[in-house]
Amino acid sequence: MSYNFEELTYSEAKDLLRQWRENNERRSEDVMELWTTVLSDDLSKLGNEKHLVLEQVIYAALDCHSYGVATMCIYILSNEFPGSMRVMRHKAALLEAEEKYDEALEVLDSIIKADETNSAARKRRVAILKAQGLISEAIKELVDYLKKFMSDVEAWQELCSLYLQVQEYSRAAFCAEELILHQPHNHLMHQRLADIRYTMGGVENMELAKTYYCQALKLNPENMRALLGLFLVTNNLLNHYKSAGNSSKRKEVWKLCQWAQSSAARRQRAARALPPTPDLSQMMLALAITD
Amino acid sequence: MGEVSLETAAYAKIILHAAKYPHCAVNGVLLADATKIRDGAKNQDLDIVDTIPLFHHSHYLSPMAEIALTQIETVAQADNRVIAGYYAACENFKDNTVEKCPGQKIAEKIAEHFPSAVFIVVDNKRMMQHLDTPAIKLHKYSDGRWKLKDANKVMFQTPYVLETVSHLLQRGVQKDLVDFDNYLDDLSQDWTNLGIEKLIASINASNTIDCKEDDKLFR
Repeated sequence: MSYNFEELTYSEAKDLLRQWRENNERRSEDVMELWTTVLSDDLSKLGNEKHLVLEQVIYAALDCHSYGVATMCIYILSNEFPGSMRVMRHKAALLEAEEKYDEALEVLDSIIKADETNSAARKRRVAILKAQGLISEAIKELVDYLKKFMSDVEAWQELCSLYLQVQEYSRAAFCAEELILHQPHNHLMHQRLADIRYTMGGVENMELAKTYYCQALKLNPENMRALLGLFLVTNNLLNHYKSAGNSSKRKEVWKLCQWAQSSAARRQRAARALPPTPDLSQMMLALAITD
Repeated sequence: MGEVSLETAAYAKIILHAAKYPHCAVNGVLLADATKIRDGAKNQDLDIVDTIPLFHHSHYLSPMAEIALTQIETVAQADNRVIAGYYAACENFKDNTVEKCPGQKIAEKIAEHFPSAVFIVVDNKRMMQHLDTPAIKLHKYSDGRWKLKDANKVMFQTPYVLETVSHLLQRGVQKDLVDFDNYLDDLSQDWTNLGIEKLIASINASNTIDCKEDDKLFR
């Protein structure tokens, strides 16, 4: 979706920014565009949203390397809130974007010294290590952080992907399990753990993956990744049970496999009403085991 | 011998994919024209005719990659094409080497099936809206590892490739690029990116007309 920013009125622009903020959409380029074309003329019209918008613009500006804009917004904020930790953090972010990592760490450390419970500043420290490519140090720091802030779902998620990056799959699986405990109704968490188990391989992991894919599909039947994953996993297990001669389990998995295949094909057909996309069922045929 | 050349659309999709997700690592596969490839020849010329953008997250998990690759293989075979290589861009701006790229396993697997495979790494530092260099690094598979080819030797099939792709970047066409992750989120999306291919074909057509007019002027 594209907007013609010059034709937007002030309140429309404000609404758009709020919408992106609430949906957690990054859209940094669009934010900057809105800021320069519509909003920056008159800050007083922003009303009580002024500070939130300024923060949004700061991070968008850092994304787009418009350090001048970011500096200006931080200046306005720090004039209004002298000595605020939150503004300090933005200053650290600016230093970080300019790759002045040591100075950024100094600012962050002073924040943490003043307020030990400031989790955002601690997480930024991890981000700085990651930006420098020091993945194992970042993992260490994040593990330390999680010892203090155990219920931080975001941090567990990040740790999970960092472990994946260094191929520590069993540790990544542990993080994914932790995530499921925190958000048992989020289908993506179940699918993520199943993906990890599938990647690890081996019959035991495949069976676990099967269970978690099924749970993900139960929570959200629309999850295509889980459906395709289930198809792969059942195919894999089918092969195994065939050679192991386990006929009762084989029958069950066979049914599941058939179901996954037919529902995937059905969804593909429904979607194909629009443009011509390559045939999924053909791919399925290529993969499937003739029984 | 052993030259690698790229079609505009193939190159454009690599750059557009990297531009669409500047904050993520991205990867994809390269397709070559199977009719021009002689079986078993080791050091042959390669013409990359198309690329398929794959993922921008969950790079280290295999199930969706398996799905994508089998699906691409069936489609490629139908069009008489082969999977001839792999491309990737790193998440970290400073990482521009094969070792730092995600999915090296996929690349090695491709090389197993196709011995003269290429590995393209997007050179983050040279990526810009006005491309003055191709901003990619070509690697060829030989003796079990990826050997960097001379950076100046990236060859294109048509003239004005950098200008065309820069133009696409400035117009924000990267927003319309569909990778396999987008497809899995919404099955009605077209991961073959026919729309972008058509757009490039039309730009190419107008470019050649301009070329001919230039020729006339010179005469």
